[in-house]
Amino acid sequence: MRRLIVLPTSRAGWGLLIAFVALVLAGTWPVIGLVNRATLVMGLPLMVVWSYLIIFACVAVMLIGNHIVERDDHE
Amino acid sequence: MNSVWPLLITLTYVAIAMIIGLRARNGCAKNADMNSLEEWGVAGRSMGPVTLYLLIAAGSVSAYTFMGAPGWAYSKGVAVFYVAIYLAYLALIAWYFGPKVWQFGDQFGHVTQASAIADRYQSPALGALAALVMAIGSVAYAVLQTIGSAYILFVMSGGMIPIWLGVLSVLACIAVYLYASGQRAIGRTNAFQGVLMLIVAWAVGLWAVHSATGGLSFSGVFERIQTEHSEFLTLPGAGGDMSFSFWTTSIIVSMFSFMPPVWTQWMSASSARTIRRSATWLPTYYVVILPMVVVGFIGIFSLPELARADTVALEYAMQHLPVVLVGLLGAGTLAASMSSSEPFIHSVSLSLSKDVLQPVLKLSDGATGKLARLLILPIMFLVVAPLAIAEPGSLVMILLVGLGFASQVLPAFIGMFFWPRASRLGVMAGIVAGFLVTVAFTTLWPHPLGIHAGFWGLMINLPVFVAVSLMTPATNDDVVERFFRIAAPRGFTRLGGAKK
Repeated sequence: MRRLIVLPTSRAGWGLLIAFVALVLAGTWPVIGLVNRATLVMGLPLMVVWSYLIIFACVAVMLIGNHIVERDDHE
Repeated sequence: MNSVWPLLITLTYVAIAMIIGLRARNGCAKNADMNSLEEWGVAGRSMGPVTLYLLIAAGSVSAYTFMGAPGWAYSKGVAVFYVAIYLAYLALIAWYFGPKVWQFGDQFGHVTQASAIADRYQSPALGALAALVMAIGSVAYAVLQTIGSAYILFVMSGGMIPIWLGVLSVLACIAVYLYASGQRAIGRTNAFQGVLMLIVAWAVGLWAVHSATGGLSFSGVFERIQTEHSEFLTLPGAGGDMSFSFWTTSIIVSMFSFMPPVWTQWMSASSARTIRRSATWLPTYYVVILPMVVVGFIGIFSLPELARADTVALEYAMQHLPVVLVGLLGAGTLAASMSSSEPFIHSVSLSLSKDVLQPVLKLSDGATGKLARLLILPIMFLVVAPLAIAEPGSLVMILLVGLGFASQVLPAFIGMFFWPRASRLGVMAGIVAGFLVTVAFTTLWPHPLGIHAGFWGLMINLPVFVAVSLMTPATNDDVVERFFRIAAPRGFTRLGGAKK
């Protein structure tokens, strides 16, 4: 194994990595500070709505990931 | 509460769980040997996507969802949602690593996390060390869940079932089906418990909202909180102790704590694709948290003088909900605690047998399989039961240190999935350094600067791991090649390594 560290080898792979990192950033500081307001959206606190947006965005990103992985026949 | 219905419903749940757990072994192939590590340990790698989804979901949702989470909402507010976010991130982790771990297990015969570590670094000692230290956190977790189970039986029986009897009863039930059916019992019971928890949480949540506001919309609850107690709607929460840094580092440390039962769950799947499919939909299960948290928010204005925050859901249910729902809440909470404790007890027994006792006593695989099944009994009745009955005050501290340590094993996984140069001594040095810092920053100087102790540990651990790895011999090329053909098949091929 000559490579120093394992990194994505395709544009789709890099896209997925960036999406994963973006999801983690969306749920942590400093992004979480931007939604830290005592306001209600659709009757729920903004932090709660944001939390569930992240949760369902995780599902969406993994669905796209499945499509990429299975298209490439790459486990 | 004088009705016998809550206790009857809770005991009915226990009986159903036992029947399901005992019948789970019927799913084995006719010639399957329950004494084998493959069968008892990882269910013959047979679980389909729906069972796996519910297995992982129910395993990750503990009694915390029914007691601790409403309690956090009651005492801190929206800070509790860090749990929902990190659970979703754990699904990302499962999506990426799960299929690779499954392939390691399938091709190299691993049945435990520590055996994969021992194989990657060609070091049974490192595997045994990982198994032992992971066992500390796992046992502490199982003890906490058992205490939760016994408390539910105590409340549902109106005090007729004392804590010691509740502890022994719950452990005896789990022991029977865990011994009989192993990982298959965990899969089937968790599937049942997962569905039950989802139904109970929403039934209790919606009924509580209706009793508090007259409607079924959560907005009535939150509009009142916004008007009267808006500090509950933002960080650092009503207690002022959930800073952005603690929120962030808690999420990061939690998502990188690869606990052994999760590893075993991945290896129980029928294929790598099954894990990916299950992980993809896993975050949807965490809608289970929302209604229970809303009950905690209702408690802020309806039960303002509560002595113990984590009893808010039970107290509210007993004062305002019909007895059938109280019973279902008891059953749901018991399901949550049992579904979380049994995988930990199972994985401790499996790993201690396979990764510690087998190499030390030079046992055959057959003898190790039998030992793993039997070992659950002393673990439950000589370790978990006395600790649960004693309810030591320092247990949460033990758990925090244990989980803090779990994240310190991260270098072992970096070397398995990302960095071929990682060495055995580098991993050991990183773990030891990270563990010492985590222990110090949990006990002596808790969470300096509002940063989680495990995160401080990682900040020391990772540079030590890299430096020592670079200074010490790497693992044999053929072993590294074997792992990275799975961990990075494309990168490996493109770089022109020798093909099989």
